[in-house]
Amino acid sequence: MELRRPPDAQHAVAALGNGSLALAGGTDLVPLLRDGIVRADTLVHLADAVPRGIDGTRIGAGTTLAELEVDPQVPAALREACAQAASPQLRSMGTIGGNLRQATRCWYWRLRFPCWLHGGEVCHAKAGQHREHAIFGNERCASAHPSDPAAALLALGARVRTDRRELSVAELYRLPTDESRDVVVLAPDELVLELDVPLPDASVYLKAMDRKKWAFPLVGVAAARFGDRVAFGLAGVAPIPWAVDSADDLDRATPLPGTAYKVQIARALIARAFSAL
Amino acid sequence: MTVPAEKLRLGRVGESARRTDAVPKVTGEFAYSSDAYAAGMLWGRTVRSPHAHARIRSIDVSEALAMPGVHAVLTHEDVPGEKRYGLEFRDQPVLAFDRVRYFGEPVVVVAAEHPEQARRAADRVRIEYEPLEPIVDPERATEQEPLHPDRPTMGHGYRDDPRPNVVRSLVIRRGDPDARGDVSVSGVYELGIQDQAFLGPESGLAVPDGEGGVDVYVATQWLHVDRDQVAPCLGLRPEQVRIHLAGVGGAFGGREDLSMQIHGALLALHTNRPVKIVYDRQESFVGHIHRHPAKIWAEHRATRDGKLVCIRVRILLDGGAYASSSTAVTSNAASFACGPYAVENALVESTCVYTNNPPCGAMRGFGAVQSCFAHEAQMDKLAAALRIDPIELRLRNALAPGDSLPTGQRITGTLPVADVIRRCAELPVPEAEELPRDPIRLPGGAGNTTRGEGVRRGVGFAVGFKNIGYSEGFDDYCTARVRLLADGSAEVHCAAAEVGQGVANVILQTARTELDTDDLVLAPATTSSVGSAGSASASRMTWMAAGAVREACRAALAERERTGGEVDVERVYRHPRTTPFDPETGQVTGERAHVAYACAAMRVVAEVDVELGLTRVVWIGTAQDVGRAVNPQAVEGQIEGGTAQGLGLALMEEVQTRGGLITNASFTDYLVPTTLDMPPVESVLVEDPEPDAPYGVKGVGEPPTVVSTAAILSALRDATGRELTRVPVSFDEVVGLD
Repeated sequence: MELRRPPDAQHAVAALGNGSLALAGGTDLVPLLRDGIVRADTLVHLADAVPRGIDGTRIGAGTTLAELEVDPQVPAALREACAQAASPQLRSMGTIGGNLRQATRCWYWRLRFPCWLHGGEVCHAKAGQHREHAIFGNERCASAHPSDPAAALLALGARVRTDRRELSVAELYRLPTDESRDVVVLAPDELVLELDVPLPDASVYLKAMDRKKWAFPLVGVAAARFGDRVAFGLAGVAPIPWAVDSADDLDRATPLPGTAYKVQIARALIARAFSAL
Repeated sequence: MTVPAEKLRLGRVGESARRTDAVPKVTGEFAYSSDAYAAGMLWGRTVRSPHAHARIRSIDVSEALAMPGVHAVLTHEDVPGEKRYGLEFRDQPVLAFDRVRYFGEPVVVVAAEHPEQARRAADRVRIEYEPLEPIVDPERATEQEPLHPDRPTMGHGYRDDPRPNVVRSLVIRRGDPDARGDVSVSGVYELGIQDQAFLGPESGLAVPDGEGGVDVYVATQWLHVDRDQVAPCLGLRPEQVRIHLAGVGGAFGGREDLSMQIHGALLALHTNRPVKIVYDRQESFVGHIHRHPAKIWAEHRATRDGKLVCIRVRILLDGGAYASSSTAVTSNAASFACGPYAVENALVESTCVYTNNPPCGAMRGFGAVQSCFAHEAQMDKLAAALRIDPIELRLRNALAPGDSLPTGQRITGTLPVADVIRRCAELPVPEAEELPRDPIRLPGGAGNTTRGEGVRRGVGFAVGFKNIGYSEGFDDYCTARVRLLADGSAEVHCAAAEVGQGVANVILQTARTELDTDDLVLAPATTSSVGSAGSASASRMTWMAAGAVREACRAALAERERTGGEVDVERVYRHPRTTPFDPETGQVTGERAHVAYACAAMRVVAEVDVELGLTRVVWIGTAQDVGRAVNPQAVEGQIEGGTAQGLGLALMEEVQTRGGLITNASFTDYLVPTTLDMPPVESVLVEDPEPDAPYGVKGVGEPPTVVSTAAILSALRDATGRELTRVPVSFDEVVGLD
C-alpha cells in the first residue's frame, strides 16, 4: 500500500478515486483497513490538503474534535457532541471531516457478513440481534449512524463545502439504495474542505449510552433554536443522521422488535432537549 | 545536625505494605509478557477457524510457506506428541484436525521474521471447510449429535449422564425436596457471557535451549500445570520444558487454560529460533475461555415467619466447545445455589453442556456468581411476599459454623454470615444528593441526559459466599523454597503467579514475619527452581502461599539452628483434605468437599432514570469475611476491583454471539465500566480467623464479585419495581416506566 501526502486540495482530489482513499485522523479508517472491511491501494493523507481551524462560523474539515469541543465560537450542541464522542486520544486525532464519513458500528457489517450494505441481499440485523440498530429509514438496512457531531451539525443546519460544490449536511446524507450502498452523495474523489455552522440562539446535545462515557450513542439528540424554530438531529437511530421537527415525528418510526426502546428514549430526550433550550 | 534515620521496616503480616509492582505499573515501566524480547526472535501468528462448527476438508500451507520472511507453517501433523491437551481433560486439539468446534479455534500456526509477514502468510493458508450446523442453544444441546462422542469428562467419578453433550451434571438432594412451606416464590434468571477483559492480551516468548528443550516466558496463572500440558504435546519430558512467569496484565481465570504456550514452543523448536506470540484484542476474545452464561430456575418455600423450608434450583450452564474447568464450575454453581442460608430440604440440579458457542471456564466467582444472582433475587422476592425486611429475612436464615450445607458438609471453620450482614447494614447509606448536579453524578453521565427528570433511587442488598481452594478430593498443594545465605540475607522461591492480586506481597510479608528480617528477595516464579504452587485461582493463593512460605521459613530456621551454615529447604503445604461428592446424591463422602468458605454482604444505592433506562450506581458499602487480612490495603483493592467486575456484569458486559460467532470482540463494542461508572466503595473487613489456615487468612478476590452483581440488581429492582431477571440489564426492562 502506498501513502501519499499531496501539498494541496487540488492534488489530493487528483490522487483520490481508483482504489485510493482519503486518510485524515485515521481513527475509523485504520481499523477498517486492518480488519479488511475496506481496501485501498493508496492512502491519500489530507494533512496539507484540507484546512484546519475555526474562524467564526467556518470550520476547516481538518479540525479535530478536541479542538472543536473547547472553542467558544462553536455552538454548544457541536461542542458537546464532540466532547461526548469517543475518548480523548481519539478526539485529538479524529477530524470533523472524517467524522462525517464515519462508518456504522453494525456488527454484521463489521464482521463482513455478506449483508445488504456490503452489496448483498439481506440485512442480517433485522432477523438477528439488533439492539443498537435503527428505528428510521431501516427498510433495506437497519444499521445506525454512530456520529454524534453529525447529528449536531444536522440540527444546526450546517453547510458543507467540497472541492466542487456546496450543500447542506441534510443533503450530504441519503439512505443507501439498491444502486448505491453509500450513505453520502459525494463522488469517490470528492473532498470535504470546510463547514459553515450557523450560530443558533441556543443549542444542546443529549446522548444516551451504555456507560457514563466513551461509548457510541444508543440515541443522541441535538437540538438548536433559531428564533422560535427548533430543529433536532438524531444519532444512532437510522443509517444516516436523522432530522426530526418534533417528538411527534417518532410516531412514524419503524422500530425493530429489539429497538422499540429507542423510540421511547428519543421521545424523552427530545422533550428534555426542548426544555433545555 | 543530623539524626540517624530509622531503618526502613517493610511490611509484615497484617500491615498495609505498598505493593512492589504498584509504582512500575502506574508509571508504565512494568515489563508485561508482551514486552519480552530475544535476539533473533520470530513472530508467531495463529490461523483460526472462521466457523463455529465445520469439518476440515483440507489444509494447504504451500503458498503461506513461500511468503517472504516465513520460517514455519505448522498444522496438527507437526505436533510431535499428544495431539490434544486440556486443563483437566485432554479434549482440545493443539491444532484442529478433522473438525473445528468453535469460532476462533486454532488450526495452523505461522512463524515469520516480522509480525506483519506472519499475518500475511496466515492469510495465505488455504483451509477448506465444510460448515456444519452449529449447536448454539444450550437448552437443546442434549438432543443433538454429540460434539465429543468419546465423552472425555465421563468416568472421572462424576454422575454418569447418558445424554449427549453433557459435560457434567450434578444433583444435590437434601431432606425432603417436596417439603412445602406457607409461601413459595419462583423465578427464572439468566446471565450473559462475561469476558475477563484483562488489559494484557495473551502473549509469551518461547526460546529453544539448543538441546531439544524449551523455555517459555508467559503470562499465566499456574506455571507447573502449563508445563504438564505443554511437555506431552511436544513429546518432551517435563523438565525439558521450563515455564517462567512473565509480567501478567490481569488474569481473572482467563489464563488458567493454555493460549500460546504450546504453539510458541512448537514453532521455536521447529525453527530453532525464539518465537514470540502476542494476541491482539480481537484475537484475545477468542483466545481464552469466558464466564459461563447460565439459565437458572429457582423456587423458594418458607414459613410465614420467614424461615426457609425448601429450595429447589435447576441450573443450566453453557460450557461451549471444550471442557476446560466446566466440571468444577458445574459443581460450584450447585454448591452455592441455595446461598449462605440454612435450609433443611433442597433439590439442586446443575448441568453444563457442550455447544459450539465460545468455550467457557474459570472466571472470578466461578459458578457462585451465577448462583448468587439467582438466590438473592429470590430472597428479595420472598421478603416482598412475606412483607419482611429483606435484611431481616437474610439474618433469620443466615448460615453459621456448625450448620450443614445442602451437600451435607458441616461448616467446621469460620463463616460469619450474620456478622457480615449486620456490619454491612450498619454502614450509613448516603443521603440523596441535591439537584442540580454535575451530569456525571446522574444516570446517563457525560451524556447529559437528565437534570433530575425521571430519576428514582433504590437501595439493594445481597449476601453471597464461595469456597476457598480446590475441592472434591483434588490434591491441592503449594511449594516454597527458602535459602538462608551466609550474609544473613534470604531468598524465597515460590511459583505462585502474581497476576495483579498481590500474592508477591503476601509471600514477602510472610517471609519477613517468619524470618524477622527485611533483607530478603523473592526470586522470579519459574518451574525450574521450585515445585508447583498450584493455581492463582479459587481465592486460594494467599492461604496456600502463606502456608508454604511459613513452613519453609520455619524449617529453614530450624535447619540453620542445627547446621549453622547456609541452608536451602523446600516445603510442600497442603490444606485439609477434601473428598468428592457422592455422584448420585451430591452429598459429601467425607468431612468436606470444599476446604473452607468466605462470605460477603453488600449494600448498594442506585439511581435509575426510568424514562431512559439509564443507571447510576451511587454508593456501595460492603462487609467481607477475610479471615485475617495479610495486607489490609491490598484487600480493599481486591474488594473494589472485584466489585467493579460484578458491576460490569450487572450493567454492561456481555460477549455477544450469533450462530456461535463473537460479534463484539473489541473494547469499542464490549464495554467495561470506567472509573466514572464505579461508585466509592466503603469496605469493612470482618476478621474472624480461619482455624485451618496460616495466620487465619482467607482468600478475598472472589466474594466481592459474587455479591456485587446481585446487590446492584437488588437496588435497580428497588428503584424500578421491575423483576430484572437477566444480566446485563437490558433497556427494554427498564425504559419507559413513566
